[in-house]
Amino acid sequence: MQWWKQYGGLGALFAAFLAAGYWGFTATGGALPWAKRSARALQRGVQEGGGALVNVGRGIIVAGPIRKGGLMLEFGGLVVLLSMIGLGLYVYVDRYNGFDRDQPTQKP
Amino acid sequence: MAHIHLGEGSFPLWAVIVWTLLGLGLISTIIYRIRKGGIETHQIALAGIGAAASFAVFQLNIPVWGGIHMNLTGLVGILAGPLLGALIALVVNIFSAALGHGAVGLLGANTLVNASEAIVAYYMFKTLMGMDWDVFPASTSAATIGLSAGAFLMGAIIVISGVNGSALPRGDLAIAVGGLVGLNLGVAVIEGLLTGFIINFLTSVRPDLVGMVDRDSTEEPAGVTG
Repeated sequence: MQWWKQYGGLGALFAAFLAAGYWGFTATGGALPWAKRSARALQRGVQEGGGALVNVGRGIIVAGPIRKGGLMLEFGGLVVLLSMIGLGLYVYVDRYNGFDRDQPTQKP
Repeated sequence: MAHIHLGEGSFPLWAVIVWTLLGLGLISTIIYRIRKGGIETHQIALAGIGAAASFAVFQLNIPVWGGIHMNLTGLVGILAGPLLGALIALVVNIFSAALGHGAVGLLGANTLVNASEAIVAYYMFKTLMGMDWDVFPASTSAATIGLSAGAFLMGAIIVISGVNGSALPRGDLAIAVGGLVGLNLGVAVIEGLLTGFIINFLTSVRPDLVGMVDRDSTEEPAGVTG
């Protein structure tokens, strides 16, 4: 398919979704974190609000229930555990080219 | 990034039961299909990595659109497939709920939401590649549309269930939920772009991981030749 049709379609999709996103952003309170936004919108209905779409100064933070609940160690442990399992599986499969030469785990 | 962030007891009991049963039905069907048809072993490894990445990014609140988190469920669906993608959605939601991010009673609903993202993204990607699209626009569009499917499903689940303690009439609740769904569509663009870049990169270095070539016919890297 011609590239301009592909990127044209993608551009139209993005334009529509970004417009919907901006409407949702303002209609549900403006610059509010998602959990607070959900609670407020579902309890009080739509209430116009503004604020920056991007707030770099806020930084990337861990979700409130984990951060405020003192579960950072558990979160870190789970991430490390899952990463080790995933990477271990990947290395094993890649090195040995899969179990049984990469056949399905159970034949029909 | 669709995810129902309401606390325990937010949904009426009948709704909790219905969404839990539907979630159980979906997972049971997937397990049955996996046991019957089998899965490629390299997909298991991808699923492990996908679960780790999805769980980690699930908990990170990034400072755009007020403060949102991504799911990477579109990426997981495209890489691991619809069956493992849905199981990853379940695993990520269980671990998240165990840490207080998402209610345990809403595990069924949230699994349905996130599994739908992975499933729709996978089939959309396959459809677009079948229409001879390039990898980047196909994967970006597929992930964006997959995430939008999850957003609409999330909205439908909330409106159908109703929210305990909310005095909003159903019509006003639907408008409020529409705003949340709209915001999710904006976020889907960001996550779709990220997914597109990752899939495009993987296709250039390991096309077999994305199903572009047969693993058995993958040639070893030639390396530097004289």
